[in-house]
Amino acid sequence: MQAFKQNSIGSFGLLTTLLFALAFTSCKKEELYVYEVNDVKVNQEKGDKVNVKSQTEFIAIAYSDIFGTGIDRNSLDLLLAPYLAFGDQKLIEQMIIKSFLNVPGADVPTKTVMDADVTKFITDAYIKFLARKPDEFELWHFQKVLNDDPTITPDMFYFAMLTSDEYRYY
Amino acid sequence: MAAGAVTLPYILPTGRLFAATGSRIANHVVFCMFAGGVRNLESMHKADGNLMPNMLVGNESISSDIAPGMTSLPAPTSARLQTLGTLFKEFRYKQGPTGHFGGHNTVLTGRYDETVSLSQRPKYPTIFELYRKHSSPEQAALNSWWISNSLGPYPSLNFSDDPEYGALYGANYAQPASIITGMPQNPIQLDDVKLEKVAAMRQFMDNSFTTNVTAQDAGITNTLANRKRIEEFLRFEYDNAVSGQYNNFWGLSQNSINNDQVTVLFAEKVIKEFQPELLVVNMQDVDTCHQNFTGYANNIRKADFAVAKLWEAIQSTPGMANDTILIVAPEHGRNLQPNTIIDRYGRYALDHTSDDTSREIFCLIAGPPDKVKQNQLITQVVGESTDIVPTIANILGFNNEIPSGRLTGRHLGEAFY
Repeated sequence: MQAFKQNSIGSFGLLTTLLFALAFTSCKKEELYVYEVNDVKVNQEKGDKVNVKSQTEFIAIAYSDIFGTGIDRNSLDLLLAPYLAFGDQKLIEQMIIKSFLNVPGADVPTKTVMDADVTKFITDAYIKFLARKPDEFELWHFQKVLNDDPTITPDMFYFAMLTSDEYRYY
Repeated sequence: MAAGAVTLPYILPTGRLFAATGSRIANHVVFCMFAGGVRNLESMHKADGNLMPNMLVGNESISSDIAPGMTSLPAPTSARLQTLGTLFKEFRYKQGPTGHFGGHNTVLTGRYDETVSLSQRPKYPTIFELYRKHSSPEQAALNSWWISNSLGPYPSLNFSDDPEYGALYGANYAQPASIITGMPQNPIQLDDVKLEKVAAMRQFMDNSFTTNVTAQDAGITNTLANRKRIEEFLRFEYDNAVSGQYNNFWGLSQNSINNDQVTVLFAEKVIKEFQPELLVVNMQDVDTCHQNFTGYANNIRKADFAVAKLWEAIQSTPGMANDTILIVAPEHGRNLQPNTIIDRYGRYALDHTSDDTSREIFCLIAGPPDKVKQNQLITQVVGESTDIVPTIANILGFNNEIPSGRLTGRHLGEAFY
């Protein structure tokens, strides 16, 4: 946040000074203004995520993001088994997310809701899953994608986002 | 490409000119690690009878004191594998601690490593990375598989920490016991067109993500098309498991099936589905020997039976039959002197703590009669663990592409014409 600070002499002092200047020099003295800027850390939020989620974290966070509640230990263990047991981690992540999105109770907006306000849908998804707002270019891009292609459904968009590189990091 | 033929350079669809990989002995290698610590006394020297009747010739009966502890198994139905190839009876694991992971690490990298750590990937590139990187053209992950009977550190053996190799060249790792007990179910259904649209959206997201994503953060990578095939395969096998196919197979009774056999069954499924050029599968149930000698002997028999079924699967798979070399070897042996644990049959258990006996192993190389010398028995001390990787490289024709100094072993040329 930019701060502005004016450093000048008081009004009485100013008047006295002006009279003095007019009387004796007929010159105008410049007022002194000092502009300062508070320290602001500018983040590119995408770049702040440098730590890879563990398998447990990935499942637990995805479940929480999709269902709005924590996953129970047994379900977590069941899903961890294949996750640990296959070398292509992204493949297993995709399988997990596709299953989550098809479970009753998954918090996925309807197509009607998405189409009614694409901008809100995109923004909400970015905030919910990636913990940030989309930048202008991202917003523009996905507005165009979703508006131009009526076959894209909310679960497809969620699936893409929840299996993106950014979602694997925190 | 016909094995053994010298192939000409060709132009890929990208327009890039590739010199085809050198002459191959065969187009497929299956390496079965008869692991868990198998002592030559029980395997090659038959101190308690022929515990490996599917692999070894001879009908020596099992010692009477432990015979009651043996599970009933179907009798061998085909030729003993020993007669279908070359058996190095006195192979050696010459250096390094005789630990399971260290032994696996050595036979998969072709290097001894005295300082191997359970918490680290191999220092040296694995056979999978060497194969994928130095074959020409480079091979897809779908062509190389590492199938292990356990988790722990073993998933990390599908690629190394070597900066010139790594996840980009790793194998598809699978641990069947976990896969068949729980796969994510009832997914949203997306056809190919929708999957491509999802992939395009994901690609845009990935492109705008500024963190330096390292390949191994997500393990190895399959292509989009191959991922789809593998996903279908995994779901199919899970369904098979749910329907009981992993509880009743090979004519075995359910209560006699062990994890080694489940692991090899899954390897069979991979062979049938993908016909990989390089597949490594291990077994380790014999390691019960730390506290149960008779169980160890019994599990040697089960592992021997599993190897026979693996061979049958290879020979019944179009594309791999008569074009596959099967290599079988333990990672290390076991001590000469027992520990103090006695099983119910009065036998003392055995550990593996780097004595000379624990370095004595065997290696069987079986394959088509025009490629592998048949029924050859090498009884002298010939060959060691580090020779397996160069041998696989020779079979698959990329040995000359591996940078000099990378490997310390040699091609086991004695086994081939």
